[in-house]
Amino acid sequence: METSAKKSLRSFYWTWVILTAVGVGLSLWLPRRYMPAAMSNDAHLTMTTMILFSICAAPVASGVYAGALHVLRHHRYRGDGVPPPAPQIRESTKLLTSWITASAILTVFVLVWGLGALAAENGSSSSNPLVVNVTGQQWVWTFSYPGTHVVSDELYLPENREVEFRVTSLDVTHGFWLVNMGVQVDANPDVITTIHTTPDKLGVFEVRCEQFCGLNHAFMDAVGYVVTPQKFSSWLSAQPARA
Amino acid sequence: MTTTLEHATTMAQPKGGGLARHQNFATAIVAGVVLAWVGWFLGRHLFWNGSDNWSDQVTILTLLGWMLGFWIGIGAFNAPFQWLLGRDNTRADNLYYAGDKQGRMRYWKFTTDHKVVGVQYIIVTMGLLAVGGILAMAIRTELITPGTHFVNQQVYNSFIAIHGMVMILALIVAVAGPWGNFVMPIMIGARDMAFPRLNALSLWTLVSAATVLVGTLAVGGLPVGWVVLGTIANQAGPGMDFFAVAIVIFTVSTTVASVNLITTVITMRTRGMTLDRLPIFVWGTIITAALALYAFPFFFVAEANQIFDRTASTSFYVAAGGGTSWLQANLFWLMGHPEVYVILIPAVAALFEISSTMARKPVFSYRTAVGAMVVLAGLSAVVWAHHMFTAGWAPSLSGPFMVTTELISIPTGIFFLVLVGTLWRGNVWMKLPTVWMFGFIFNFIVGGVTGIYLSDVPLDEQLHGTMFVTAHFHYIFVGSVLFGAIAALAYWFPKVSGRYLNEFLGRLSFWLVFSGVQLTFGAMFLSGLKGMPRRDASYSFAFEHTNFISTIGAYMIMSGMLVLLGAVITSWRSGEPSGPNPWRANTLEWQVPTPPPLENFDVLPVITEDPYHFDETTVNA
Repeated sequence: METSAKKSLRSFYWTWVILTAVGVGLSLWLPRRYMPAAMSNDAHLTMTTMILFSICAAPVASGVYAGALHVLRHHRYRGDGVPPPAPQIRESTKLLTSWITASAILTVFVLVWGLGALAAENGSSSSNPLVVNVTGQQWVWTFSYPGTHVVSDELYLPENREVEFRVTSLDVTHGFWLVNMGVQVDANPDVITTIHTTPDKLGVFEVRCEQFCGLNHAFMDAVGYVVTPQKFSSWLSAQPARA
Repeated sequence: MTTTLEHATTMAQPKGGGLARHQNFATAIVAGVVLAWVGWFLGRHLFWNGSDNWSDQVTILTLLGWMLGFWIGIGAFNAPFQWLLGRDNTRADNLYYAGDKQGRMRYWKFTTDHKVVGVQYIIVTMGLLAVGGILAMAIRTELITPGTHFVNQQVYNSFIAIHGMVMILALIVAVAGPWGNFVMPIMIGARDMAFPRLNALSLWTLVSAATVLVGTLAVGGLPVGWVVLGTIANQAGPGMDFFAVAIVIFTVSTTVASVNLITTVITMRTRGMTLDRLPIFVWGTIITAALALYAFPFFFVAEANQIFDRTASTSFYVAAGGGTSWLQANLFWLMGHPEVYVILIPAVAALFEISSTMARKPVFSYRTAVGAMVVLAGLSAVVWAHHMFTAGWAPSLSGPFMVTTELISIPTGIFFLVLVGTLWRGNVWMKLPTVWMFGFIFNFIVGGVTGIYLSDVPLDEQLHGTMFVTAHFHYIFVGSVLFGAIAALAYWFPKVSGRYLNEFLGRLSFWLVFSGVQLTFGAMFLSGLKGMPRRDASYSFAFEHTNFISTIGAYMIMSGMLVLLGAVITSWRSGEPSGPNPWRANTLEWQVPTPPPLENFDVLPVITEDPYHFDETTVNA
């Protein structure tokens, strides 16, 4: 009896280990396979955080699944009629304290990482950011570059320079989201909200509205380009003054 | 209470109320329509029709007429009227209002018996789930491929808002409504709720609010999203008035119900039913009720402000008039996050009850489990702004709200420990409730873990507003709460009907819904990770495959729910008889006959220990 209980416990631990390994594998593969190509410092941080949190979650989820599977295999009543009473266990201080301690440690770790990442996102204020004014209205985005006369419905950004977006709306609340940059903020009427990011990869990226804004919400998007600083200045000077 | 009632029988009995004895759902609708017409007529003539607000004023007055008429017509005010006329209710009156000797008709009336109210809540929940489910199928059908083909964008946008709010209502009442009313008073050894008439009132105000909410679809819908952000709500037509009135009345309904539940547990427990002997489901119910009392007034205020903005040109949410839509967002989420736990806690508490009975073991760490529910309820009051991390409102509060939100994982983790701990080394009886409970455990892990990503501000700045969020909370609401609600239905169904819920159909339904949830919302996580926004009527080809899978999964969920509906109907009529205590549980509701008689107990029981001790006598009972 005692040995079979020990044996079944061993199978529980093995299930736990195997499921954890599967979870870690998924954590390493899924985000990189499915998340949009990271094109800014914030997007890289987002990707790292995603993978790290998934790896932390793997043993917790696997532990619960291994426990549930163990119950299904070894503690299911297979006879007919009402099952006989089981051992009347009410508490286990050891189990309870270790469970709460483990979950508290994980929570604190996740919190410290998250607060650190938040500070990194907020703290990186360069002295000379490029300012872009973003205006949302039903159902288009417009971008203007203070100090120039450029007003565009495409967003051009130079590589490796911090950008400060000052976002507002002309009508309802919109959600300004740079899909490949990992940052977003609402565009509210009569209010200016700001976000920062530093694009660090050349290429095309998407700008979307992620706050429900009415009839054509699904089609409120724009195209963005990260270009070299030289190309950026020549693009700026090539624009007709519309303002 | 019993003594006063018995005393009353010895007094003179004036013969009562001719008309009042013929009131039911049909007269309620007639009176509602009449008063709605009166409201509409008065509104059109009382208000100045040159004003911008005229149509909203008329709509609101019409809806208030409908509500008032409905309540008068159902008989909600009969007893207070009688009392005002100087005639107190007699024993005969009270028995009549409790539905005594009225057969099935009592389910269509303003009946005060808590068991009738419980069954009415089951029916209302099923009706709301049906409406919300049909809308969900329409949404998924539209999203089966990119492009617009099945419904146009305006209709689609309405559907997402109504689907959202109807399902929220359905889940708020899904467990606490039926079982908080039907079994909870019996569990604590009471003859009825503390305020039986308020109990009926909470049910029928809910019905009147639900009719108005669904009625939104008939007046051009609500194409502004279910959160109805202040700024965009201004662009909505009469649907917005319908929505606001429905919510205001709904919050009244939940407040009345919560006060009643709490008072009942505090004052009506039988002798010996000390707080540490309370069945854990009762704890779950009152913690939920307390949380609802805190949360729903915010929603009341949010929508009352909206009504004033629309009818009286106040500008609570209009920036041009000095208001801000952030006020609406704050009020909405001050309700919105506690509401998630108002939905979740009863389901979890019911599963604690079920796990103990089915494993033939006491609830593991009873006190810690109760503590975890209390802590969770408390924390949920201070996390609301995590819905606003990307709103631009108070960025300096992002850190603090991230902290409070992530602390939630500790009490939630305890829920898993208690559930698995109760099952561990048990003799687990694999009946229908147990099957759905295992589904809950699987899905709740997925929903819980993905919540941690969203509570992290840097990650939320990517995932917010995407299908990832939608998938996350559907794993909680469908995968967890609905599974818990169905487990509770399967568990207490024999007490309501005297019959088992059909095991075969129930399991078929389980496998359909369970696999459907994994396909639908599993694929939805991938859509969201890839960057597909929520609430979009159309999407780019990049999201084609995952959306197709989601739609197929949604059809599986629908077929599973239809099988379940079939199981409920056939089992209720001709299922296998179960006897009064089919699960051999110790809680009081199983110790009374099935169906429980009016007033439940001949002699109130005296409690000497908690209901979680299982020995040989419980098996053979």
